[in-house]
Amino acid sequence: MRSRLPALPYLLIFAAAAALPLAGDDYIVLIATRAAVYWVLVSGLNLVVGFGGQLAIGWVSLLTIGAYTTSVFVARGWLGALPALVVAALAGAVAGAIVGLPALRLRTFYFAMATLGFATIVTQVALAWTGVTGGGIGIAGPTLPAPLDTQMGFYLFCLALAALCTWMTLNVAASRFGRALVGLRDAEVATEAMGVSKSRLLMTVFLFSGALAAVAGGLFATLQSYITPDAFTFDLSVLFFIAILIGGRGSILGPLLGTILLTILPELAAPLVAWSTFLYAALLLVIVIVLPGGIADLLDQRRRRKLPENRQIVPRPELVASLITRQVDRPALIISGLHLSFGGVRAIDGLDLELRPGEVHGLIGPNGSGKTTTLNVISGFYQPQEGGVRVGDAPLSGGPQTRAALGIARTFQTPRAIGEASVIENVMIGGTVEGRASFAETVLALPRHWSDEKTLRTQAERCLRIIGIEALADERADRLQHSELRFMEIARALMLCPSFLLLDEPAAGLSPDEITRLGALIKAIRAAGCGVLLVEHHVDLIFDVCDRVTVLNLGRELAAGTPSEIRAHKEVVSAYLGG
Amino acid sequence: MARLGLNLMKCPADFWEEPTLLMTRRHAMLASTGALLGTTPFARPALAESGPILIGWLAALTGPSSAPAIGFDRGVRFAADEINAAGGVKGRKVEIVTRDTQGDPTKAVNAVQDMIGRQKVNSIWGPTNSGEALATTAVMARAKMPNMHPCVVDTLIDPAKYPNAFRIAPSNGQWDDAVRNYCLNVLKVKEVAVVGDTTGYGVSAVAASVAAFKKDGANVVYQAQIDATQPDVTPDMLRMKNAGAKVLVVWSVATGMEARLMNERATLGWDAPIIGHPALGSGDVRQLLEKPANWDKVYMAGYASCSYDANGKLPPRTADFVARLAGKVSLQDSSLWWVAAGYDAVKLVTDAVNATGSSTSEAIIGYWNGLRDYPGMFGTYTWTPQQHNGYPTKEVVMSQANSQKDGAFKLAPGYA
Amino acid sequence: MFSSILWTGLAIGAIYALIAVTYNVMFSASRVMSFTAGQVGMLGGVIGAWLILRLHMPIIIGFPLTLLGCAAVGVLTEIVAVRPVIAGLEKHLYVLSTLALALMMQQFTAIEWSTEPQPFPRIVGAGFALDEKFWLPLLACAAVIVGLELLYRHTLVGRAFLAIAEDNYAARALGLPERGLRIASFALAGAIAGLAGFAGGQLLLASIANGPMLNFYGFVPVALGGLGNNRGAIVSGLLLGVFQQAANFLFGGVFVSVAVFAAFIVVLMAAPQGLFGAAPTRRV
Repeated sequence: MRSRLPALPYLLIFAAAAALPLAGDDYIVLIATRAAVYWVLVSGLNLVVGFGGQLAIGWVSLLTIGAYTTSVFVARGWLGALPALVVAALAGAVAGAIVGLPALRLRTFYFAMATLGFATIVTQVALAWTGVTGGGIGIAGPTLPAPLDTQMGFYLFCLALAALCTWMTLNVAASRFGRALVGLRDAEVATEAMGVSKSRLLMTVFLFSGALAAVAGGLFATLQSYITPDAFTFDLSVLFFIAILIGGRGSILGPLLGTILLTILPELAAPLVAWSTFLYAALLLVIVIVLPGGIADLLDQRRRRKLPENRQIVPRPELVASLITRQVDRPALIISGLHLSFGGVRAIDGLDLELRPGEVHGLIGPNGSGKTTTLNVISGFYQPQEGGVRVGDAPLSGGPQTRAALGIARTFQTPRAIGEASVIENVMIGGTVEGRASFAETVLALPRHWSDEKTLRTQAERCLRIIGIEALADERADRLQHSELRFMEIARALMLCPSFLLLDEPAAGLSPDEITRLGALIKAIRAAGCGVLLVEHHVDLIFDVCDRVTVLNLGRELAAGTPSEIRAHKEVVSAYLGG
Repeated sequence: MARLGLNLMKCPADFWEEPTLLMTRRHAMLASTGALLGTTPFARPALAESGPILIGWLAALTGPSSAPAIGFDRGVRFAADEINAAGGVKGRKVEIVTRDTQGDPTKAVNAVQDMIGRQKVNSIWGPTNSGEALATTAVMARAKMPNMHPCVVDTLIDPAKYPNAFRIAPSNGQWDDAVRNYCLNVLKVKEVAVVGDTTGYGVSAVAASVAAFKKDGANVVYQAQIDATQPDVTPDMLRMKNAGAKVLVVWSVATGMEARLMNERATLGWDAPIIGHPALGSGDVRQLLEKPANWDKVYMAGYASCSYDANGKLPPRTADFVARLAGKVSLQDSSLWWVAAGYDAVKLVTDAVNATGSSTSEAIIGYWNGLRDYPGMFGTYTWTPQQHNGYPTKEVVMSQANSQKDGAFKLAPGYA
Repeated sequence: MFSSILWTGLAIGAIYALIAVTYNVMFSASRVMSFTAGQVGMLGGVIGAWLILRLHMPIIIGFPLTLLGCAAVGVLTEIVAVRPVIAGLEKHLYVLSTLALALMMQQFTAIEWSTEPQPFPRIVGAGFALDEKFWLPLLACAAVIVGLELLYRHTLVGRAFLAIAEDNYAARALGLPERGLRIASFALAGAIAGLAGFAGGQLLLASIANGPMLNFYGFVPVALGGLGNNRGAIVSGLLLGVFQQAANFLFGGVFVSVAVFAAFIVVLMAAPQGLFGAAPTRRV
């Protein structure tokens, strides 16, 4: 996933493809047309599987739907071939949403199985609905109007569509949607906490991919000139799927190369065609074990760049004020009478807490006392049995994705980041809800998309400068040290210019120097008017920065007050601090 | 004929370079792979009229339902080797360009384009599978490639739209006619149950069959598609029996399902005849029968050329052919008609070149259009510019399934 | 008519139930769902037919060898497709590696064995009111249920399996040899699948088409019964078998898979953890 892609590889590939007809070989042009048609489908599926991480193995069902829709509309004389393609796209979008719906509820393997089942159903319907689809005999594919009805004309048409799909998916990849998709894939919890609605985003992507797949189906029917249900094999589905995994997730170029490779391979190894599926599967197995990142990983230069040694994280707390300015007399975040149980375990047994803007409120206590659980309730991951959280008079309800709009941001006990994305891309995800461009505007690279990107990037750079790790902006996040990841999470949280910042053990694993700088940073954030809820075990940090401290024990408040009161509190000392 | 006689006098070992003499199914794939590896993947230069005669062979050699292609393949290779051993055609050798399409229409379209554009074959035999043929017909028509194929779907042959495409085997309609004819006029039964599998062929064949039965005044008491993997067919058989069916018409290549139907018929103690698709008589079915007696009263569409008469003899032309095959081509696990058809397919091309002196597409198509009662091993073909279904309906007969010997069958009772 | 539907349904359901148990055993040992479960079931029938019919081994030798062969394939799954993947951070990759291995198994068998269904030998011979092809799978299912109960409750190895399944880290901390137990689990799973395929051989015939079919229909009881829940899986499997045969009777061949799949999706969307499954654990 990279936002500033060199266009060169794509230009080379498409220029070479456009020059193919000059070779004068009809067979090569046929294979190239097939690769282009497959890519139209795979480019959309790539967003679902490669970016979204949804293992839709049975996607051939959409190819089938597109092929039959186009063919039926043309054969019945209802529409010309090109308008029929548009109708097919609509049908594909709807079908894509239906296939994708289980993804919101089912776990990975179940969803994969469900898509396989769906593919079977579509084929059975095609077989049985003889009146419309011709049943087993099939139906003639559409013929496009001149000059697209010649082999060359059709090839260039498919090539143009393939180029268009490449461009569209590149736009999505380098947008807040693409980043959020990958975020849902690799760090679902964190991404939701930043305001991304999983169901909305996934459904949008399924609609889009479904439409592309159906258009590919119409093109496929034209290419074959006649379609029968047995042309839509499980092998084809697996081919699409493997092309993406071989190419590498989160990449556009990788799956493009993968698709070309897998279309050409059976032709080069024609004598071995009986073993072709076996070889594909073996190739997939090897890739999964040896090179899970696929071709894209091989091409990714950032992995190999040497990072400077002895890096220091030096935040610039003085810049915080330019980012966040909040009035201090805004409503507080109030937890009242909170009760939360997991089965028989009482995680939170009656808690009241007030987080005022411009104040740092510490939350300490032994392990298992309910500190992180409290944060999770505020974030919306758990619904309490009794009591609740409100901002001012407005109660907080709904899932975690509603919190970002209220200006609530957080970090996590273990850093949750997207390893293969760059640091700045990770940070930009924090601002996803601030984007204005719709998905359609992004796909077509309309001006609002560019202004969104510019705004988000500028904002992210500012956050990184505040944190002090701007030198690592373009490095892959999985190369960062643990402490750098912790600070990166804070940068990500700052993207929202939050009213309330929830920090879950931000000092864990930090060196003493880094803890000191963290403290200065938190103070600056407080000074800017943000209310900070700090869950920590490092009591020095707590007593240094906090204005108020609440001590939890066994889900209940043990003591609350100023740091000096807490430090002297007898029970706190015996239960937690030690004397 | 004299040339053939001469061949018989040569020592069999001279004919073959390969060490394996008997081609069985296991080795068919390896042998064809060997032949394929000899094929250049690169484009050939344009061939003069003096180079080898290239016959493209689109074979579903592996994948589901590969038995027919494997059978055809044996006939194809035998013909090519026989012709080349006799010096070829006007000095030109015959070369078979095989592509295994696995029954996949996508691979078939790719393969056809390869054969037309790069391998520059003179004619194409195949594909063997209707789904593939439906996709490749248009491609071959555009290139005016002489095409002979054995696929049964009726719409594949259209002399106006596809003047280059010829059918060597009966169409599904001809099979259907023979079966229906036998049922109504020989067995003299009007209550029929018609079933097929759930593939494309099964669905369409049943629909066509039912329509034709009704038109002829029969009473179709039951019609259904049965999933080929369904493990127990008792409910279906019971329903057919209870509906009063006196004969069971089966349209399917799924040998597993057909064997189950026969086994269940025996279990129920029902003696209705089972008639239909030639696959009913295949060796695969025999293997799956619980008792050999379950194969009694099973009659399927067959061919006069590959049927034993009342004295147990094949027609002279076929008997001669079988004698030539002895020791070189195994018929135990295949059907004679496949081997015969594959042989004829090659001979039809070489005879065209021989007769016209040219291997251009016009020459071959023109020759085929002019054939009247051409004496093939599989059938006596007649093609005209208006009629590209060359197999004579009167040579489609009904065979008795349990009489399989060396790939051929006895005529069903009631045939003269 | 009805008795036929019932007995076929129960027999087929027993096979599905056993494959579901295979999925569960593989999952318990590794937290991984494997696409190879159905393929090993298919191999149970194919290897059995090969040994007994082609190589003419007596059943008394052919049967245990089949189980051994399938156990070996289970171990192969663990070594090739599971172990390299769970070591890494990308947990989803197991779907791909097991899918790849399953495809390889299927294609290899298709080429070496046959694409057409092949006969499966009779085991016991005639002489019962109900044909053996119906009660063999049920017998196998009962044997596995009893066997697993004994294993899990009364043997140390069985309890070690349960420990690994419930809390991997704690079990390792106690010193249980995780890798050895996992290999043993996969071997056991392979044997169960092989038993399913062997017992069902006469019903299903030795055909490669059984692989993907058992994959899907063996998975449905897992999803409905709750992942890791063997009792739920067996009940769901038997119900599924009867439902499928009834649907076949009512709607006919083409629509059975549609009916099963539609029911599957509806139930899962309503209860993603299955009808008998446990509530989801915390994800934050």
